[in-house]
Amino acid sequence: MCLSCQTVHNGSAPAAHHHDADTGSRRAPTQFPFGTLTADAGRSADPVLVEIVQGSLAAVEHEVETAIARTSRSPMIRDAHDFRAGIHDRLLRKLTGRSYSALVHPVARDFPIEEMQEGDVFFHNDVYLSEGGIGHLPDLCVTVPVFAGPEGKRRVVAFIQAFGHHDDIGGAVPGSMPSHATSVFEEGLAVPPIKLWDAGVPNRAALTIMTRNSRMPESLAADLDAECSACLMGARRLGELFDRYGTETVESCFDAIIDRSTETYRREILAKIPVGTWTWEDYAEHDGVDEPQLHTQRITLTRTAADDPEGERLVLDFAGTGPQAKGPINHCGDYSDGVFLKKWLAPILRNLADTPERMAELDVNEGVVPLIDMRFPPPGTLLTPVFPAPTNARTFVILRLLGVLAGVLAKAVDGRMPADQETIRYTGVYGEDLEGRSYLMREVLGGGSGGRYYADGEDTIHVVPDSRNLPTEFTESRFPFVVESLGLALDSGGAGQFRGGLGYEKHIRMLKDAHFMSIADRSILACWGVKGGKAGRPFQVTIDPGGPNERDVDALADAEPVVAGETIRIRTTGGGGWGNPLERDPALVVRDVVWRKVSPEAALADYGVVLTGELADDPSTGSGQAELGYDAAATASERASRPVPAADDAFFDRGPGYGTLSGGASAAAVDLLGV
Amino acid sequence: MTARRIRIGIDTGGTFTDVVAFDEDSGEVVTTKTPSTPGNPADGFLAGIDKVLEIAGAQFDDVVAVSHGTTVATNQLLEGKVDALGFITTAGYEAMLEIARQSVPDGYGNSYFWVKPDRIVPRDLVQGVGGRLDFTGAEIRPFDEDGARRVARWFRAKGIDTLGVCFLHAYANPAHEERMRAILAEEHPDAVVSISSEVLREYREYERSMTTLVDAAVKPKLSRYVTNIKDRLATQSGRTVPFYVMKSNGGVLSADEVVHQPITTVLSGPAAGALGAALIAKVAGFDKVLTSDGGGTSTDVSVVIDGDPTLTTEGSVGVYPSKIPMIDVVTVGAGGGSIAWLSPEGTLKVGPHSAGADPGPICYRKGGAEVTITDAHVFLGRIPPHLLGGEIPLDVDAASAAIQQLAGKLGITAEACATGILEISAWNQANALRQVTVKRGLDVRDFTLTTFGGSGSLLLCRLMDILNVPTVLVPPNPGNVSAFGLLTVDVKNDYVQTHVALQENLDPADLQHDYDALTERAAAALTKEGFAEADHAFVRTADVRYFGQAFEVRVGVPDGPVTTETLTTVADRFHAEHRVLYGYDFSGDPSQQVEVVNLRVSGIGPIKRPEILRADAPRPAPQPTGTRSVCFDAEAGYVETPIFWRPDLPAGQVLTGPVVIEEFGSTVPVHPGFTARVDDFANIIVTRTQQTEES
Repeated sequence: MCLSCQTVHNGSAPAAHHHDADTGSRRAPTQFPFGTLTADAGRSADPVLVEIVQGSLAAVEHEVETAIARTSRSPMIRDAHDFRAGIHDRLLRKLTGRSYSALVHPVARDFPIEEMQEGDVFFHNDVYLSEGGIGHLPDLCVTVPVFAGPEGKRRVVAFIQAFGHHDDIGGAVPGSMPSHATSVFEEGLAVPPIKLWDAGVPNRAALTIMTRNSRMPESLAADLDAECSACLMGARRLGELFDRYGTETVESCFDAIIDRSTETYRREILAKIPVGTWTWEDYAEHDGVDEPQLHTQRITLTRTAADDPEGERLVLDFAGTGPQAKGPINHCGDYSDGVFLKKWLAPILRNLADTPERMAELDVNEGVVPLIDMRFPPPGTLLTPVFPAPTNARTFVILRLLGVLAGVLAKAVDGRMPADQETIRYTGVYGEDLEGRSYLMREVLGGGSGGRYYADGEDTIHVVPDSRNLPTEFTESRFPFVVESLGLALDSGGAGQFRGGLGYEKHIRMLKDAHFMSIADRSILACWGVKGGKAGRPFQVTIDPGGPNERDVDALADAEPVVAGETIRIRTTGGGGWGNPLERDPALVVRDVVWRKVSPEAALADYGVVLTGELADDPSTGSGQAELGYDAAATASERASRPVPAADDAFFDRGPGYGTLSGGASAAAVDLLGV
Repeated sequence: MTARRIRIGIDTGGTFTDVVAFDEDSGEVVTTKTPSTPGNPADGFLAGIDKVLEIAGAQFDDVVAVSHGTTVATNQLLEGKVDALGFITTAGYEAMLEIARQSVPDGYGNSYFWVKPDRIVPRDLVQGVGGRLDFTGAEIRPFDEDGARRVARWFRAKGIDTLGVCFLHAYANPAHEERMRAILAEEHPDAVVSISSEVLREYREYERSMTTLVDAAVKPKLSRYVTNIKDRLATQSGRTVPFYVMKSNGGVLSADEVVHQPITTVLSGPAAGALGAALIAKVAGFDKVLTSDGGGTSTDVSVVIDGDPTLTTEGSVGVYPSKIPMIDVVTVGAGGGSIAWLSPEGTLKVGPHSAGADPGPICYRKGGAEVTITDAHVFLGRIPPHLLGGEIPLDVDAASAAIQQLAGKLGITAEACATGILEISAWNQANALRQVTVKRGLDVRDFTLTTFGGSGSLLLCRLMDILNVPTVLVPPNPGNVSAFGLLTVDVKNDYVQTHVALQENLDPADLQHDYDALTERAAAALTKEGFAEADHAFVRTADVRYFGQAFEVRVGVPDGPVTTETLTTVADRFHAEHRVLYGYDFSGDPSQQVEVVNLRVSGIGPIKRPEILRADAPRPAPQPTGTRSVCFDAEAGYVETPIFWRPDLPAGQVLTGPVVIEEFGSTVPVHPGFTARVDDFANIIVTRTQQTEES
């Protein structure tokens, strides 16, 4: 019997199954099905008040995030901006739409809402008890209920929540992200939902236990203070809105905000996808424990018709996803109907909107949830791991899934989706500084984004909004190294009619012996190109390049020794290209060569452009020579001599690394259209 | 007859140039307006001086100083009209501008579709030069003189005459940058050059580079503009007239100096407005002031406490970040021309798009087809059906028809639609006012709101209600507050030195040395501005954080020799300020270390402020000029409302809403439940009507 029949169905009758029974995939049960606060789902809400309430929600979210950003200590929060605030209604629906956030579900599951008191602050980071909202233990989550109503009748009307990636919560290695972990017990302290503050009184015992288990107790304590204070401030601000307009009125606006979002996605996104079913997959390349291999992540996308008995929607079936990894790349996705994953993946759908400006306007709030159904494979896969499987590097799965969804959609819409990007990895050095104090310098270096049907990919960007790199003038003042150069990795962007963006090339010269650490995927496989576009270059770390001890470092490295005087060269991933590179405007190829983004050799090899003249912007050669240009006739004949693309060519290019792990195949079966 | 001593303030806006003349001896203030002349702003500038002198019955010889607020730099940046600009940086960092801080603005997942705006300098006009300093300023590798010379010649050959220079760690040691500048002077003498160690001696290379490049970018145009005016003033008067330009930091600086630091003028206009409004409010008895300056396309809000505007070093102009201290102004797209529209989701939105002055609102009948805030006001009767005291009639019927249509789409009445548009606009302004206060730990309810500008006062009653602000002050001549503000500010220069150290490692002697050096620079500048040493004033501040934080809190540093006690005071002030800002601090917790990041000195040369005179003796009670049907609340509908002409109102006059007070270029609708009183300085003070005795 299919498990989906046992789950809550939002009041609708069990209907025909649209998934293939053979896959064994299932829905994930939830005790918090999607519902509305008012009978008419906010349709009678005052349109003026809806705008005012939405503006106030955005302002409160902004104020909470600003307060956290300005006071936090953990570099992952402070610089990488790996933290988010969210506002949720009492049905646990996310109202704000600028960013992802965790879930209130685990708190409401363990602490009945009607028993909450003003001044309560809830805390959790336990991945397996988070209903899928927390991916790894360093993400510490604080939840504050918002109260409103007349004295004596005050009750919970909403929640303010913030979570952030903290420096260290214990476990086997500094930073709590051991790349060779084989269980959650090596990853740090797991705290199930608890009351961190009880009616305004902080639970000192809990705080002491947490700080005692961290290698960075001061910053942990400070970051928790920052999050709690910010959420309590937000709760007061939001409470004022309820007190001004009354709970019923505001809740009617909440319904309207979410319902309008649903209708917008139906009208502007679903309408772009034809009715049908497509399958695509992509891979993590290693898990830190086993030898590198293809860790498959697969989505079968079904877009149902408007008259479908269960409604017009997208069904995402993850059947075919590979087995749970021994190492820490698993992600707990199959909880609470996949509600976290739905909101996590939905931003990708925005790429189907008409223009980049419109894409940026679309909010991802709970309104996307009724339009997405998820089916999960049985327990024991990358996406359905079984406790205590390790999860600290689960970005290898949840970030890759963004790309899998983009890819499967590309098949459905003739490629009008961006090519691939990989913009999160952790690299760092640690040891003792010149004064003998221990330090950990860890940063998140972005990469190039993929080409789009309307623009090249962008260089060195990051998927997390407002995430920043570390200024050299800051790191050199604090850590024993010199950043000799920080530039772009030449030729790293995948060739295409619209080229992929470039990754970083960073050279760090150590002034003292240290250890290098890296948690990165895409060092063998590359960011894929689509519709004729080529893959970008993968991630690569080399120590002492050009020197006597030149050596490449594995992308999953906890403690690679580096001696004083050696340089570490880090190259991050370039984005995939979009469209046939032979159709790229040769003038743009010339510009790319002048801008040191494409080498003269690649201009000919990848783009078939025959260059003329000299790179006149190099002062060492002076500016007397003819400026760089191209020979139009020679370029045309060069391009004509290249093979013509065939209809049965693979729709995706995964780069040369794919053959290494696939046993020599150049493309996967799902890379063909029509599969 | 002895010459009079007249100082003139001139604020050049997009449409009008506002002029205020102040007689230092009699205290008399005269105001006027002339059309701006965007083609050559100097024409409008001098026409304005002629006009105001004529009204004041004075001669050009009587002018002792001219202070000017200019938008030349601002507009150039907002319009992104940056001419060919070159960037010289440390070898290995040539892609600094492409990389920036790797951040993608706004929403999660935007990295997939975001299109990066063009860089301020394209990659082919960036050159690296060898030589390297460490963070203490010590040399790791010597400066590459030959390479520098090649780069200088290359830019000359390319015809690139505007250059920004930023080398790593130049904030700690300017030697390499100064050498670069000297080589450029030899090899490329026509080049206009900005070097980072002069523009902003603060760490973080990308931000310092951008600030330096913005400074360089606006330098040629601002220099030409300022020099042109200076020359014409000299020609006109046959002598050198002291000419000051308003800076973003709330001070003025002589034209001769300001051309060397053009980036400091980018918020010239808003700074003058905020300070003028704050001075007026202070004389009227209010020290904590929120200012709201409403124009045709946007509204600028800011906070002024005891005459000091709150400053920020994290501002930006258009897409260009600027780390120069500037008045913390939040701009919202809420002005008379802001357009009301339906989003694809079906919600009613107001702004930030604006119909501007051309085509303008529908009721202007100049081709505008979209409902604007002004259309909503005129439909509801809140403003008169004409502009500028009757010179230009407004088409109420056309506004009404368009609002009916919009209301139809929303399924609400036209009155509900029009009041809704204004309500949304008021909330947008309220959220901006909250933003400028909340982020500083201030409570908006403790402030007096000062509204000015052409559209600034129209929604004041709604703002009072939304924000729970007890009092609003509307100055007389609300259109001229910025020009007036120009006459109220001192000469001011800011200097910064990054000096990162934990409190426990701080040596008071080091700090003393740095502060002395900064003070010396500030004093030299004041002397150059003509201030006697006895008149020099200095304000010392420090940017402080807890170890590990990325943002600093600025606190005052006591005057006098720097001692360990000074350091303790600074730390204590930091703990207290952190608590005010964020609700907690770590005072007394030895595990949480305090770190000093930047040292700052402002040098201030005081000038004579105009005294605001009390209004004339009481006059007879005024009569309304008429009545009009005005809708203050959609459900209550239209009520017949008396209209008063503001110049008729004597001091002490009290009017209870509903009432509309009109003057040339501005209107104050007083809603039912609110009371307006005219104070001794001709300000309108609006409060809630006191409830009668409870029964």
